Parts: sequence; structure tokens; C-alpha cells
Amino acid sequence: MSQMITSGLLLALGCLPAFAQDKQESSNDWNVFAEELYTADGGVIKNALVRVQGGKIVAIVPGGSAASGDDSLRAAGMTAGMIDLSARIDMGFASVEQEHEISPGMRIADSIDLFDPEWTRTAKSGVTTVLANPRDDDVIGGLGLALKTAGANSVVERTLKADAVLRGAIGTQPSQRNHPAFGSPSDIFSRRPTTRMGVEWEWRKAMYDAAASRADKSRAYQGSEHVLAALDGKLALCIQTWSTQDIRTAVFLKEEIEREKLGSPRLILDAAAEAWKEPQLLVRSKAMVVLPPFPLQGRTGEGSFMAHDTAKVLHDLKVPIALSAHGTGAAETRLDRQAGLAMRGGLPFEAALAAVTIAPARMIGIDDRVGSIEVGKDADIVLWSGVPFELTSRVVGVLIDGRLVLDPRPDKNSAAAK
Amino acid sequence: MRLPSPRLALLASLVLALPLSGNALADGKLAIKVGRIVTMSGPDIVNGAILIENGRITAVGADLKLPWDAVVIDQPKMVAFPGLVEAHSARGMDRANENIDVAPFLNVRDSIDPVGFYFEDSLRWGITTINVQQGPDCVIGAQGLVVKPVGITIEDMLVKPDAGLKLSASPKRGFSPATQQQALRSAFSELRTYLEEIVRDKQQGGERAKREALFQGRDLEGEKSKGKAMGGNAWKVEGLEVIPRGEIDEKQEPLLALVEGRLPAFFYCARPMDVQRALEIARANGFLARTTLVCNTACWKAVDAIAQAGVPVVLEGPLVQIERDPIDGREIETFVPKIFVDKKVRFALSSSNTTTESLWYQAATAVGLGLSRDNALKAVTVVPAEILGLQKRVGSIEAGKDGNVLLFSGDPLSVTSFVEHVIVEGKPVYDRSKDIRVKALLEGKLPAGTAAADEKGAKASGATAAKPHDDTGTVPTDEPEPKKKD
Repeated sequence: MSQMITSGLLLALGCLPAFAQDKQESSNDWNVFAEELYTADGGVIKNALVRVQGGKIVAIVPGGSAASGDDSLRAAGMTAGMIDLSARIDMGFASVEQEHEISPGMRIADSIDLFDPEWTRTAKSGVTTVLANPRDDDVIGGLGLALKTAGANSVVERTLKADAVLRGAIGTQPSQRNHPAFGSPSDIFSRRPTTRMGVEWEWRKAMYDAAASRADKSRAYQGSEHVLAALDGKLALCIQTWSTQDIRTAVFLKEEIEREKLGSPRLILDAAAEAWKEPQLLVRSKAMVVLPPFPLQGRTGEGSFMAHDTAKVLHDLKVPIALSAHGTGAAETRLDRQAGLAMRGGLPFEAALAAVTIAPARMIGIDDRVGSIEVGKDADIVLWSGVPFELTSRVVGVLIDGRLVLDPRPDKNSAAAK
Repeated sequence: MRLPSPRLALLASLVLALPLSGNALADGKLAIKVGRIVTMSGPDIVNGAILIENGRITAVGADLKLPWDAVVIDQPKMVAFPGLVEAHSARGMDRANENIDVAPFLNVRDSIDPVGFYFEDSLRWGITTINVQQGPDCVIGAQGLVVKPVGITIEDMLVKPDAGLKLSASPKRGFSPATQQQALRSAFSELRTYLEEIVRDKQQGGERAKREALFQGRDLEGEKSKGKAMGGNAWKVEGLEVIPRGEIDEKQEPLLALVEGRLPAFFYCARPMDVQRALEIARANGFLARTTLVCNTACWKAVDAIAQAGVPVVLEGPLVQIERDPIDGREIETFVPKIFVDKKVRFALSSSNTTTESLWYQAATAVGLGLSRDNALKAVTVVPAEILGLQKRVGSIEAGKDGNVLLFSGDPLSVTSFVEHVIVEGKPVYDRSKDIRVKALLEGKLPAGTAAADEKGAKASGATAAKPHDDTGTVPTDEPEPKKKD
């Protein structure tokens, strides 16, 4: 806060540097003004002016006002860019390595298609950073990547954190459609595991082998160094677990690893729809939870049932939570709407805001750059037409690294839409 | 003397609302005192009351003197809002579509399932008036009914019979647009041929129409025994007055009613090209003035034709059309209600589903996307009421209208607001605190003894069985932390 005020003092009100009129979208220097700036700790700064320079936030001036006639960006509300740890963009079969069900060395970075229109849609919906993961048809699919949703057409330049998590799945998805190797040998489903037991066995074998490779190099396998990093807690372990049974398997696996003194993984449970059923299990395991989109009638992935107060229950028990949208196909399931639905289930506004900004940033260790509006952080900013997450509000402006993805100025916006 | 406690009063009113003793309250008086009344007929009223007598609203205001014998619902934190009106819905029926291409002689009365989940869910989301129409997979469909989602027989539910006839300009399955249009045209030309034939037959002393009527066992007494010249402002069959109206084939009568302007039409259009064809049929047969277009999102492209025809629209499908530019591949988003407002087309919103994307959700989302709050609220209340010809009965809270009132926990369009109580024709028919399905969805709390609850119980006991894994001392509990009541 003090850093913010100090920098703010450098810019006396009214003598803000004037920019050339009619700036292009390529500029990443802006004055961004909002009647209400919602900070990561739940506070509200009235009439906040945020100064963006070189793609970074350089000053936050409370009680400011946007001079009329200049090219400041203005809106009713401002928050940090949203972060989706389960955006599931570009997770087609192209991201499923078929050679082995344990493929920890595979990098999703190598199969991301930045030209997929889903990226633009995601960015315009106010999601500025996503965690991209391999699809969960392998037991251990590979390494996930945290990247910005817009910017340069290069995965390297958009990357916030390469190898952000080791991604895998528990449950039926990795074994779905698999069958033993009979019949057509060219069938990609002629492989293990074929059961839920098999999935768990693969997990245990991958972990024990990786741990054993510390002393005995012959136990190492392709990519086992990443499993080792996950065991050591250096690399977050992000596992898809829809149902209570999946969640238990993941938690018990973690506890087994700790009991056997093989390591201490940092567990992120993705798509944990039934986390509400045994929340004490999550408290005990210190697992972090990424919730899937709220289902209309309760039933969701892999036959699980998600109560609408799931986020509230976990928040009350201080379990770290993040919300996710699983793609932007329909407006109803986008991330801002998920935050609204979490509030409908009883989650306070501040917690809902955190669950789509700073909380997911902390989970994968990118909070030094994104997740809140603070001096020195990336200028990933969302402008709202009203109070964020209300049905009656919408995202009207988006900046990523200080560059305009969605222009809040009405005339510019309509021109861009045409 | 009022009942001593509001809670007791509410309880009393709920007891009275039981189907068996329903008439007791219908003859009685219900007063609703709330923090705010959104009337939709004038400015909002702060700390006001609504008095409902015999199912009708008799007074609304801030300083109402309530009769001593009124049952009082006192909810100072809640907001009263008119019951939402669904201008067109193909739900609530056993099957929404009929096989026969031209079936105006059918009536959804025979297809509506009063105990269907749809009606229960409608009430939960505050929809108190529904125009049930056949699905769009037809050329000319059945006649619809306006119902309320209350009651276990059609008679209980009925608000308005003869709600209108369903037509579709969008090809029925297996049809092309051309065959669809041909089928629509020939339905009316067949009507004309039929009428001309029975008139000619009668003028030549024949009794064909009468014989068929008697064969079908139709009523030919009273009004039905009188002939009447053909009405309407389109084509006419001369000499129709010689045919007693009861003799006209019941398969043709609804179409004649359409042409004579006695029956409204709900014309379904999936694509912009359908709009022009629907308007052509409606114009050629004189029922344009009584036509409402049921339009899919894409139809906004025909907005000029709609505006020129002056017909209202029920907007189905998403509020925003997302298109891919065929050349450069960019996505183009169009917010449709705004276009209707700009072109002065009257439109009602409709539920995409009854659950989350009900009228309430559509209105709130439309505000988010740029529709004014007033227009959005009108599009789910007064405009659909006008479309259904029920503007004197539903759509707003004012004296003389049906006592259909929703009590929201907060602002009606806020994401955190719930429909807490629903009052239909003066009877409290929904109370969220007693809604076990909402509790299950919201808190995962399932009533004991249900299959789902047993499944949960089995899993929970499994957690205890898994204790060997538990070295840290805490025992997994079956239940989440106790929840605070709000």
C-alpha cells in the first residue's frame, strides 16, 4: 500500500502527462479511471486512477478524476484481470499423448494453437491469464503452462510460467474407452489402464519409481524428474478429481507419500465438484481447490453432484479456492458468471473476486506478476459497466500487459465490433 | 384485528392455501407489506402494501389502511414484483410436437401435464403466467392455452383459453423452406375451397356440411345454428352466411377463426428468411394484426420487415448472436434486444430453460448487455401481458389486476436475490424456505429417505471406514460445518 501511495504522489492530479489523442490499440501506456477499484484484499478505492506505462502498473491515485476530453479509459468498476486455472482451451485430442499413460515430460506449450478464436473470446470475457493443461485422457498428462490470453502470437512471449504444474487425473476419464490389447492393434485405446484401480496403480507406480530414482538411477523413466519435482513440492501437482471418490484417492495418495517420507506434494484439485461433501478432508490435506462451473441442476462431470454453496463452504473453512469456467462456449458459463453464481451460493463478494484473481495466482505462484492491481504488477485490468459479477454488469474493457483487448470507449468498441 | 405475528400470519395463509381449503382464502383478503414495491405501472413504492381481495388486487400504496380481517404477510426487507409472464413456451406438455403437418383442430389442453416438473420450476423462478403453445416442428400446430403454474387440473390452471394458434415458417423436419411455404399456402387455399364448396352445396339445396356435422356429433344448437357472413379483412367467401357456424368442419374452423381475426397467431421463425414468409402468409390471410412472431436470435436481421409490419416479437434463444465472418473469420457479436429497441419493435423475452436461464435471468443479463432496466423489466411483464391480450389482468401490480406477486429477497435483478414467496391470484403458492429441491441444489441437503440422500449417506460412512489413512488426528465428518441461516 505504501509503495502505491508513494508512486501515486509522483503524479499530482491534473498534471498527468497528456497522451496523443486517439491512441491506437498498440499502445501500452494508459490512464485508466474507475469510479470504484476493487482491490485484491476486498477493499474499494473510490475514483481510482491507474497509470499504466510499458505494460506495467506504475501508479494508483485514489480520489482522482478523469479529465474530460483526454483519452483516459473510464468505467464504473475496475478489477485485476481474471485468472482461470481450468480454462480448457485447446484441449483437444491433440494434447493427449498416446505413447504412454504416464507422460510427465510432455509440455502443453508445444501443442497450443494461439490462433484458436477461443483465445480472443476468453480475453474479451475478462480472463487475462489461464493455466493450460493437457487433456485428462492420460493418467499423468504432462506439464501445464500459465500464459496470457492475448498479446504476441508466440507462446514463449505470452508465457507467465512455463512448467507451472504437473497435470494428471484420477477417476474414470484416463481409463475411459481403454481396453486390453486385443483386436485391431492400431486402436489407440488398446492400452492400460482400463479401470479406476488401474489409474490409481499407475499414479502410485509413477510416484514410487520417481522417488526410488533418487538413489537408484535405473528406476528413472522418461519425465520422472518432473514427478520428483512434484513430490518435492517444487512443482504443483494439479489433479482432476470430480467426485468424492476421486478427491479421497488424491488426498490419500498425498498422505501416503508423506507417511512413506517420499515427499510432500502441493496438491491442486481441479474440477472438485464434490468438495462440499467432505470439506474437512480438504482442510486436513491442505489441498487447494479449483471448482468447475456451477451446474444448472446440480449434476456435473463424471456423475458428480455440485451444490451451489460449495465455494462458500470451502471459503468458510479457509480452503484456498479458485473458480473456473471450462471454456467460453456460452455466455452463461464464463468466469464472471461463475463468480456471480458462487455469490448466489453465499460466497461474499471479496472472496468471489479473490477466487478469480489473486487466489488462483497464488496457487501456481504467479502472484508476483498478476492477480491484483498493484504498482509493479502487469497491467492486466478488467473494466466493468457496474458492480462486478452482477448479472446486470458486464466486462466493458480489458487490458493485457497494458494493451487494449477490449476498448471501453463506446465509439471505439462499436467500430471494433463491426 | 390482525394476526399477532407475521410468521403466524404467513403460516396461516399457507394452511389456507392448501388445495382443499383454497376457496377459504380466495374469498378472503391478503395484505402484503414489503420494503419496496416495483409496480411496473408507475414509480416504485417504498414501504408499501398490496391488498388482494378475492384473488384481485384492490389497493396498492404506501399508506394503505388494511382491513382488520386481512391475512398479513409482513416482509420489510423484501421487494415485491409482478409475477413474470412467459409469452410463449413449448414446455409443460407430454410431447411438444404433433406428427400431423396441419393440426389446428388440436389443443394443448390435451397435452399439458399439470404435475410436470416444468410448472413447479416455473413457480420457483417467479413465472406465474405461461402461454403454452405446441413446439415449432409443424406447419400449423395446435391451439395454445394461457395457464398459471398452479393446480393439478387444466381447469385449475386455466387463465385464458383460445390463446392462439401456432404456425411455423421454419421448415418442419423433412421439409424444405419451399415445401413448408407451399404447405402453409395450401392450408388456407384448402380452407377457401372447402368453404366455397359447402356454400355452393347449400345453395343448391344440399346438406353436406350438416350431414358431416351430425356424423361428427357436433352441437348445432343456439349460436351454432346461426350463419354469419365471413368476417376479416382478407379474402372472403361470398354467401357464407347460409352455413350455420356449427356446421363448419372442426378441422377447418380454427383456420377460419384466424382469417376472420378471431384468434391470435404465434408464428415461429428460426431464421431471418422465415420472417418474410411468415409475414406473407399472415398478410395474405388477414391475421397480421393478431400475429406475434416467435423469433430465434438470428431473426434480428429481418428487423426492418418486422418493424414495418408492426408485429410484436417473442425473442427465443440467446440474447447475443455470435457469428463468424465468412471471409476474415472474426467473431461478430450482436446484442439483439437493443436492435429491437432502436427499431421500436415491441418484444418479450423468453426463458431458455426454466432453471437458471429463466425470465428473471434473461432480464438481468439483458441489462448487463446494455438494455435499459425499464425495457428489460417490461419485456418480462407488461409486454408479454399485452401480447397475450391480458394487459388488464397480469404484468403489473395495480388495483384491478390479478393478485400475482413475487417477493424477492433483494433487488429483483441482483444475482444474489431469490424468489422467496410467490402469490398467485391472492394465494401464497411458493415459499423458498420449504422448497427441498432448492435446498438440495444450493446446499446439497437432500431429504432423508431419497435415493440421492442414501447414496450420500453410503459415501459418508465410507469416509469413516477410510480412517487408517487418517494419521493427522482429524476425522472426516459427514456433514459440512453448520450453516448460518440467513
